[in-house]
Amino acid sequence: MGVTVLQQFPIVENRTGPLTIDVLTKRISALGAIQQGQFLVDCETYTSVPQLGNQRTVHVLHNSEQPATVFSILETGTKTIPLATDGLFDLLMMKMNSFYTSKKLTKAESKGPRFEIGDFLVKLGSVTVSQNFKGVLVEVEYKPCVVPAMCWELMREFLQGFLGSSVQSSPPSYLQNRMQEIYTPIDTIHQYLEQFTMYRKTPGMRA
Amino acid sequence: MDRDLEQLHTALNSIKVLRSNVGQVFETVSSGLRADHGEEGKENKFMLELQELLTTVNNNLRDVETSVSSLTPPPGPFNLANTTYLSQETTQERQALYGQLVNSYKWTDKIREYSTLAGNILATNSVNKTYKTFSTTKRRKTQTSNHNVAPDVIENLITGIDRLFPDVTITAPRPFAPNPIIQASLGRVLKAIIAFKGLMIEWVVVKAHSESNDLWTESRYKVFRKVTENCHAAMCHFHSPTMPELAVRSFMHWFHSYNTLFSSPCKRCANHLHNNLPPTWRDLRTLEPYHEECK
Ligand SMILES: [Zn+2]
Repeated sequence: MGVTVLQQFPIVENRTGPLTIDVLTKRISALGAIQQGQFLVDCETYTSVPQLGNQRTVHVLHNSEQPATVFSILETGTKTIPLATDGLFDLLMMKMNSFYTSKKLTKAESKGPRFEIGDFLVKLGSVTVSQNFKGVLVEVEYKPCVVPAMCWELMREFLQGFLGSSVQSSPPSYLQNRMQEIYTPIDTIHQYLEQFTMYRKTPGMRA
Repeated sequence: MDRDLEQLHTALNSIKVLRSNVGQVFETVSSGLRADHGEEGKENKFMLELQELLTTVNNNLRDVETSVSSLTPPPGPFNLANTTYLSQETTQERQALYGQLVNSYKWTDKIREYSTLAGNILATNSVNKTYKTFSTTKRRKTQTSNHNVAPDVIENLITGIDRLFPDVTITAPRPFAPNPIIQASLGRVLKAIIAFKGLMIEWVVVKAHSESNDLWTESRYKVFRKVTENCHAAMCHFHSPTMPELAVRSFMHWFHSYNTLFSSPCKRCANHLHNNLPPTWRDLRTLEPYHEECK
């Protein structure tokens, strides 16, 4: 597991989601990338019932890169508590549906092709929130390096190589406070949650 | 022994002759009457021919019998020890073992042959050129063996290196061994597994921190495989039979420059990436980073 950067790719006027993915697929393949299957990251959000007092929110996420793990992030209002568990956590959440209710209309996911190129892993995801297309997320992982500060410049160069000018000059906001820390899978989950939260607030797009 | 072999050869030969002549009998029988038997008394001619062939076969058979009876059977069964049972193995996954055993026997046999040849060639071409230039005068005192030194000398060298670079952490699973293998962690960038032969560096493998410490599997990341390759080049470059400690120190000094493997751009093209790899080469003198294609 190496440092991962997640960023939105702007959809050009008159271009649909699948078409955008297609354009990016062609670009990355031209650089020598080889497709290695598909990927999926999904997120479901639960809120506590009023009887429990202060409202708390639990986000439950799955990442096909870590298929045996269920990630969850609990927001209490003052604290954010991340948790990585095995598959049984999903069943536990079902048992707790009288305390935590799912906000079905906010189920978000990003899925699409997964590519390997050198030591990089590239995933092109089309994002849907409750089945409505919202945009395109590009995930790039540089597998050999685990400290964001060491490889950010290198990754930016790579991103610019196939995304062009849409790449920001500074790291994703979630990473900015953690540049010197060892990167772990939960950091990728945090980045997805950050993006999904933003997409949930924006109006839907033409798929 | 020689006589036995000769008899075996005669026996095998007479069997061959017998088989060939029996073959001829069957051929004659199967083709039946031929044009060259003519018209007159053709059946008789054919019968005579067949009789002649059968007499030859009879004689051949007698030869076989006599040559076989003169052979001396080997005393008792051949002793292949437990390997005999291998060829009778019935479980699927072990069936291949016998063949492998034979192959590895051939392989070791070949190694023995080649190493004898190599030994002879090397003996005639002496390789002590470097020693000669130094061994004449006052340098003689340092003329100790480099690959057979007391473990504490190596230990001192290693702890010396450990103190020299604060971001290189050295761990040795078996300290004070004559040929230690150490793990040198370079910050949070990478780790190297280094095998010593006395005071000489014999092998280096560079890997990610998350990978295993064994010396034989290479890294699964392209960048570390490239760095491993370059470490081998540097290991040869810094090697010095007369000043082994300096050689190890110079190598470690060079190796230390990889702490910027991911962060520093190439000195020549100023880019981070070339062929999706960071600059994996470090200049041996200036320690500046270069892509392999840019050096
Ligand atoms: Zn270069």
